[in-house]
Amino acid sequence: MAQAGNTQPVRTAPESISGVALMQGYGVREAKGFWADAWSQVLARPRAVAGLIWIGIVLFFAITAPFIASGHPLLLDHIKDGAIVRTTSPLWQHLTATDILLPIAAVAGLAWLAWPMAMPHSRRLTVFLLALLQGGLIIVTCNIVGAEFRYPHVPDWMRSLQQRSGFIPVTAGIIAGVYALIFIAASAFDRRAPRIAVPVLVSLTCWAVITGFGGLGVNRWDPPLHTFNYRQAEARGEVRAVYTLIPFSPNQRSTQLDLLPPGMTLKKGLGEDADTVAGDPTFFLGTDSLGQDVLSQMLHACRLSISIGLVSTGIAVCIGVTIGALMGYFGGWVDLVLFRVVEVFMAIPVLFLLIVAAAVLPRNTYVMMAIIGCVTWTGAARFIRAEFLKLRGQDFVQSAKAVGLPLRSILFRHMLPNGVTPVLVDASFAIAAAILAEATLSFLGLGPVDQASWGRLLSDAQGHTGYFVWWLAIFPGLAIFLTVLSYNLVGEALRDAIDPKLKKARV
Amino acid sequence: MGTYILRRLILMIPTLIGITFLIFMLVALSPGGIGASLRMGGGQMEATNRALFEAYLEDRYGLDDPAVVQYVRWLGRISPIKIGRRDMVSPRGERLRPPKPLKEPLLWRLYAKELPTVPPPEPGVHDDPVREYRAATNNYAQKRAAFIATRTQLEEAFAAYARQKEIRGVLTPGGKLKPDALARRIDTIDTSLPIGQTVAERGAAHLAAWAAASAARERLRIAFNAKPFPEAGLAIIPGVLSVAWPDFGVSFSRNVPVLDLIGRALPVTLLLNLIAFPIIYLVAVPSGMLAATRQGSLIDTLSGSLYVALWSVPTVWAGVLAIGFLASKQYLGLFPVVGLHDTHAATFTFLPGTDESGVWHRGYLLDTLWHLCLPVACLVYTGFAVLSKQTRAAMLDNFNADYVRTAKAKGVAGKDIVLRHVFRNSLLPVITMFATIFPAMLAGSVVIEKIFTIPGMGNLILDGIHLRDRELVLANALMIGTVNLLALLLADILYAVADPRITYD
Repeated sequence: MAQAGNTQPVRTAPESISGVALMQGYGVREAKGFWADAWSQVLARPRAVAGLIWIGIVLFFAITAPFIASGHPLLLDHIKDGAIVRTTSPLWQHLTATDILLPIAAVAGLAWLAWPMAMPHSRRLTVFLLALLQGGLIIVTCNIVGAEFRYPHVPDWMRSLQQRSGFIPVTAGIIAGVYALIFIAASAFDRRAPRIAVPVLVSLTCWAVITGFGGLGVNRWDPPLHTFNYRQAEARGEVRAVYTLIPFSPNQRSTQLDLLPPGMTLKKGLGEDADTVAGDPTFFLGTDSLGQDVLSQMLHACRLSISIGLVSTGIAVCIGVTIGALMGYFGGWVDLVLFRVVEVFMAIPVLFLLIVAAAVLPRNTYVMMAIIGCVTWTGAARFIRAEFLKLRGQDFVQSAKAVGLPLRSILFRHMLPNGVTPVLVDASFAIAAAILAEATLSFLGLGPVDQASWGRLLSDAQGHTGYFVWWLAIFPGLAIFLTVLSYNLVGEALRDAIDPKLKKARV
Repeated sequence: MGTYILRRLILMIPTLIGITFLIFMLVALSPGGIGASLRMGGGQMEATNRALFEAYLEDRYGLDDPAVVQYVRWLGRISPIKIGRRDMVSPRGERLRPPKPLKEPLLWRLYAKELPTVPPPEPGVHDDPVREYRAATNNYAQKRAAFIATRTQLEEAFAAYARQKEIRGVLTPGGKLKPDALARRIDTIDTSLPIGQTVAERGAAHLAAWAAASAARERLRIAFNAKPFPEAGLAIIPGVLSVAWPDFGVSFSRNVPVLDLIGRALPVTLLLNLIAFPIIYLVAVPSGMLAATRQGSLIDTLSGSLYVALWSVPTVWAGVLAIGFLASKQYLGLFPVVGLHDTHAATFTFLPGTDESGVWHRGYLLDTLWHLCLPVACLVYTGFAVLSKQTRAAMLDNFNADYVRTAKAKGVAGKDIVLRHVFRNSLLPVITMFATIFPAMLAGSVVIEKIFTIPGMGNLILDGIHLRDRELVLANALMIGTVNLLALLLADILYAVADPRITYD
């Protein structure tokens, strides 16, 4: 949250400085903001910078993976009697709403932050984060609604409704409209909040993309091309295809191609059947036990890694801050009762609770994020409680109380900004812990299904029949390790920068 | 101190209840619910037999009750203080309880005006209370089975009736009857239809079976009240209050008392952790001291970086790499891949030696240690970073204290300052780290045991959860929570021992 930089240049000092000149601000350098100062200290550390670069790389692939690694050709020329009949793009047709919205958000966000205008960067960042939150909520709600309508045992009216042509536009419109209204209402009450245009713009974009790219999981263009038969068709001379950099999808599997070592090519893997396919792409990092390309899976898993760390920590911080604030502010029996709840979560190893929850609840990404968030909130709650116990006796809190401000305002407007630092520092380590937890759960076979994950790849390394597969152990493991290490390094640098006294380590 | 420990022990009880309740409700409310694997067991049976099987299991384990009732009953069983009459212990060690009340006949208001009067209890056959109790148990089981069989037939008739009358919303997609929904939709059965006749006939048979089963249950109750077996525990006020050893029940999935399973698994996990802890402390504390005495030097920077890197290595990755490169026969093959003992470990002597033909063998002790090498190595390295960092920080804090300057001024040797003055005063945070590391290690050993196939608590827990084994999951949660809370308490007591200024009174 960088403050707007120093806009006033330091004037060259005259030979004698009068008192009037001093009062006018001679030689005054505007102090950097607290966070800007901390941030520049973090950037002064090479280790933290290296960590930030790695996180940036993972983020880049999280956004662009569907465009880099896909088994669907970028361009497909349909050939009949030697002439091109029409040209389609199966890759484009198979993109989901999320795949499109992420690059849009990245480009729009960078432009928004870098555009020269008067609004300070911190406020721009707030606006961007709010817009991202709104877009994410719309997408998640659409996915959940879509899954609900595709459930096998749904009543007939739901199925017939889902097959109407107007289903996607209308449903996406309702969802986007509801979220736009909520965010507009929020911005009307909060004077710091963005203008009304932003929620409406985000909603409109989301609506357009979901309508265009089937965010509710309904096939939008026929015929559906799910079979990856392009190479056979090309060998028969029916089509001509142009592929992306890595021409495999993460879920493109073939029993003939299981456990190929790195550097093996498609034709060598197929052996006798090599003549039936056109082209000879290389599996740069080999294949897993289902015959899926490892590199492609690793790139697609970046998104899971980034999102699970951020979202689950966000959930944990929200729960922890609320409960911790109540405990610290009220004390007494509220503290006693709520601290028993905290103690319950502390008394049982986090991983054990995660295993129980992940084993019995549905296996999907959102549930996984919610589980990790709901289990790891106690750290934030304890930090906030300790800070609030210190703060509640101070004058500014007492005067806020005396003026008669509502509780919400005292807690979150006045006390929280003064006590949130340790939680934010801790959040970086919490993200690392969440990524580790996801990897461990996926390794134990409790992770999200139908979703590429580094932990799941790693669990394949022990192979069937005890055969050890080194490329499935080295590459995904290294990716998890580097990501966790990066967050830990950044967290360490941030901790040293903000509070040298805060030396409490985390496990 | 004594009162403090007592208070902490008492405060543990609500926490433990909270833990087990949280975990039980998670498992109970999940798809499949408690005992899902049990119900799967009858997969290939025909409908009537399957219903009998399910009914037997539900009756034996109380699975047909609401989840909260099941939980409260479990609490009652493990509570050492019992209210009301005492359980009896069968010669096989199982707790015997009076028979549960029989359920009402299915939807009897639809085909009967009132319940038939229950005939007087059948007279006992044997004079010996034990034989009489067994005979009554068998008799009741048969009568109840007949009752359940008629219930299943009646259900089928109801389902056919609902299909013919086209009553919507009372059948599941699988064609089974939802009795509550049917009772809400209709209040009489149309006996003019043939299927209505069938319902009435089967309903009459069902009522008769219910009456017979009730009579058999009454006979069993009388036989039970005759106290054929010794009672469990000690009475404090006879008939009202008694104390008894907690009953953790029998695992659904393995049909073995849960305590036996835990008794076999817990020592393995504790062994792993008890070996790992001294190693962590022996490596991390000296290296933290070294880093503190040479603050800013190459050693300090290097050890700091190394520990952060080690801390970030996922345990699962370390385990997979260790098995793959060190243990697997494909590469080095230096260590065993699975388990805690050799397959022939039972025949080994305890200590290594040579047998009569002069061949050296490693013996039980060395064999176990050899098997433990890799798991312990994977368990310890994450602790290094935390503990070493804490030691370094605590030492640095003390180096700036006045008493160190005084000691230097009066000429105490540098070694003595570090070891006698600074180190002793830096012990406190090092001890409290125990409380932070222990839960993480306990959880970490779950993963380690899974990777190395060690039969400890980790594998037991994972099995229990996958099979939705209520007794196993609850007992494990209780056990892990207790061990954990005791470790935290131990850390607090050590805290007071190390620092005389701290008192808990």
